[in-house]
Amino acid sequence: MSLPTVILILLVALCAPALGAYDGPERTRSTDEILSMIERAESGDTIRVPRGLYVGNLVISKPVTLDGSDGAVIDARGEGSVIDVRAQGVTVRSLTVRGSGSSVTGEPAGIRVSAPNATIEHNTIEDALFGIDLRQSSDSIVRGNRITCKDMEPGRRGDGIRLWWSHNCVIEDNTVRGSRDMVFWYSENLRISRNTVSDSRYGLHFMYSHDTVLVGNDLHSNSVGVYLMYSNRITLTDNRMRNNRGASGYGIGLKDCDDIVITNNALLANRVGVYLDNSPSSVDSTGVFESNMIAFNEIGLLATPNTHDNVFTLNAFIENEEPAATHGRGRLMLNEFSRDGSGNYWSDYAGFDLDRDGVGDVVYEPRSLFGAMLAREPNLRLFVHSPAQQAIEFTARALPELRPESTLIDHAPLSSPPSIEISLGGSSRSGLRMGGVACALILIAGACAAVLGSDHGSRSIRTGEPS
Amino acid sequence: MSTIELKRSMFHEAVSKSPSFISGVCSFAKREFRDALSSKWFLLYTLAFTILAVGVSYLSLSGVGSHGFAGFGRTAAGLLNLIMLVVPLMALSAGAGSIAGERERGTLLYMLSQPVSRTQVLLGKYLGLGVALVCSLCIGFGVSAAVLAWRAGGVGVGSYAMLIGFTSMLALAMLSLGILISVVSRRSSVATGIALFVWLSLVFVSDLGLMASSVLFKLRVQEIFALAIVNPLQSFKMGVIVNMNASLDVLGPVGAYASQTLGDALPWILGGTLGAWIIFPLGLSILLFSRRSSV
Repeated sequence: MSLPTVILILLVALCAPALGAYDGPERTRSTDEILSMIERAESGDTIRVPRGLYVGNLVISKPVTLDGSDGAVIDARGEGSVIDVRAQGVTVRSLTVRGSGSSVTGEPAGIRVSAPNATIEHNTIEDALFGIDLRQSSDSIVRGNRITCKDMEPGRRGDGIRLWWSHNCVIEDNTVRGSRDMVFWYSENLRISRNTVSDSRYGLHFMYSHDTVLVGNDLHSNSVGVYLMYSNRITLTDNRMRNNRGASGYGIGLKDCDDIVITNNALLANRVGVYLDNSPSSVDSTGVFESNMIAFNEIGLLATPNTHDNVFTLNAFIENEEPAATHGRGRLMLNEFSRDGSGNYWSDYAGFDLDRDGVGDVVYEPRSLFGAMLAREPNLRLFVHSPAQQAIEFTARALPELRPESTLIDHAPLSSPPSIEISLGGSSRSGLRMGGVACALILIAGACAAVLGSDHGSRSIRTGEPS
Repeated sequence: MSTIELKRSMFHEAVSKSPSFISGVCSFAKREFRDALSSKWFLLYTLAFTILAVGVSYLSLSGVGSHGFAGFGRTAAGLLNLIMLVVPLMALSAGAGSIAGERERGTLLYMLSQPVSRTQVLLGKYLGLGVALVCSLCIGFGVSAAVLAWRAGGVGVGSYAMLIGFTSMLALAMLSLGILISVVSRRSSVATGIALFVWLSLVFVSDLGLMASSVLFKLRVQEIFALAIVNPLQSFKMGVIVNMNASLDVLGPVGAYASQTLGDALPWILGGTLGAWIIFPLGLSILLFSRRSSV
């Protein structure tokens, strides 16, 4: 037998099991097959879509349940919306949906719903312009979907989940990556829980959407974690906003929102923790910020100078580069930073607590000269984290006439951080790896000392012998 | 023979002698390293840097308590300030003391009477001191890494390594500048004085001056950025931040401008500036040192 023949036989032998093991869709089917299944079914029936790759668009105009848990994949190959739900009470479950159109004009989506009472759960949506798009679909549930959008620059992407005029909906346990926003337009009385949005523009974005509760969402590495605009009576509890950065990177941004309650959230390592833009805007409403952990941000709290009637109590402001600042000149004197003898914890508080009642005996009024300079000349921010900044602050402390007015006053600053229970899941593995780094560095130093510090080479020079 | 040909022949000579050239440099490097280890100043700086680095790492993590989240950004920001103060002081004074000190003690004459070129002596001194500085930084960073590991923060190993890399480059650049100061000064006290002056200028005066002029002359963002990166300390700081955050938006409009217009080239530009601060003062001091007829 010649060598090429042997190789050929070996190749075939190797490939045969691999070919046999390939258990993907045997052939490409058409979505017409699903359509005919729907036509044959009664209203309220559950259709288990057989495993396979279905190419084309699918319009559902009968109240049925579509279950793709056997491994059904629907691919629109870049034409229009993949699934279009037009009947009330439809359930779409466990399908993999991909390949919507990409032109902005028709706003094609992975799953578009334009009828109430829909349930969209546990689907995987990939390569879609908009992920799930609910239009006038009140009383719907969107649960446990995994959505990744088209790989385009952020401004050209579509929204991961969008609600338009859809009230009383439940949005929970969804994971969205790389979309534009998860956005709610004119939709009231929603429950938004335990969603994760990352690498997008705005994690959760509210436009004119009132009376909503946000609980336990995780919003990280976006431009903005939660941006509420012109939306009233919204409660945020137990949410995490981490690492939301960029030119307008905010953990929470509020624009003209009344009666917002923000409790027990963690705002960590954002460019700005909380941004208040004329919020609350009505005279008789308040914004409540209680027991939030606002830590490691470049600016903890940033507000436009006209901001008023916000109440901050029992929050922990920890190691923010600037604890609080105004956007432009001005002070935050129209807001309350303590009420009924309890204020907030500020990690840069330099006062004392002699009577040990947990409240500092001296008021907290941050007066950063460099901060005041930044408010006037934003370009100077280039010089943060430098000894020159420290020198300026030191000068201001040494020469009191240079000290600016304080941006805020907390009459009852807490002397120790309040305990705020938020699960953040620090990994122990990075600690281990860091230990490895420590060992490696000390070993390097030791090895250098051992190799170079041996007196072999140096003595030859001192005694003048050629080495 | 034209100067170019002369240079070429000198180059060939150097290359043909390259094994002995390198071994000569290495011998001086080893001697310098040993001297550095046994000098009190050096040990003091290492100890101070280590204690301060550990203190900063510990303090920056202590506020969060049991929350398990430790922003490496904060630790790094604290470390940045410390590094920008201590490391240039260490490297400048080590460099400034090197040639001028030997000259004052008379040992330079003895060294130059060895069958080695002046370039070899200078390069050897630079290498030895450079390795000693990097070792001392490694000890400081190593112990504070141990503290970070013990406090179990969400620390990025990659960004920590980047921080060490940039700090080493900063130390080498400042050492190079220090050696240049040492070559041009007659006495070691003068060299130390100049080094302190340069340190003060780079750390405080240039930044404060740039702040003032950016306000007074209404400099545009691109002008502020271009002027700022001339200072090796600023390009060091921006380099660390850009490697940690993938963007300079932390540094306000100027940083955002730099990130947007330069994009992926930004870390290379900043690293390149630091590299230039290593190469040019060292090259200049080699040139001056080998031309000097007197010792």
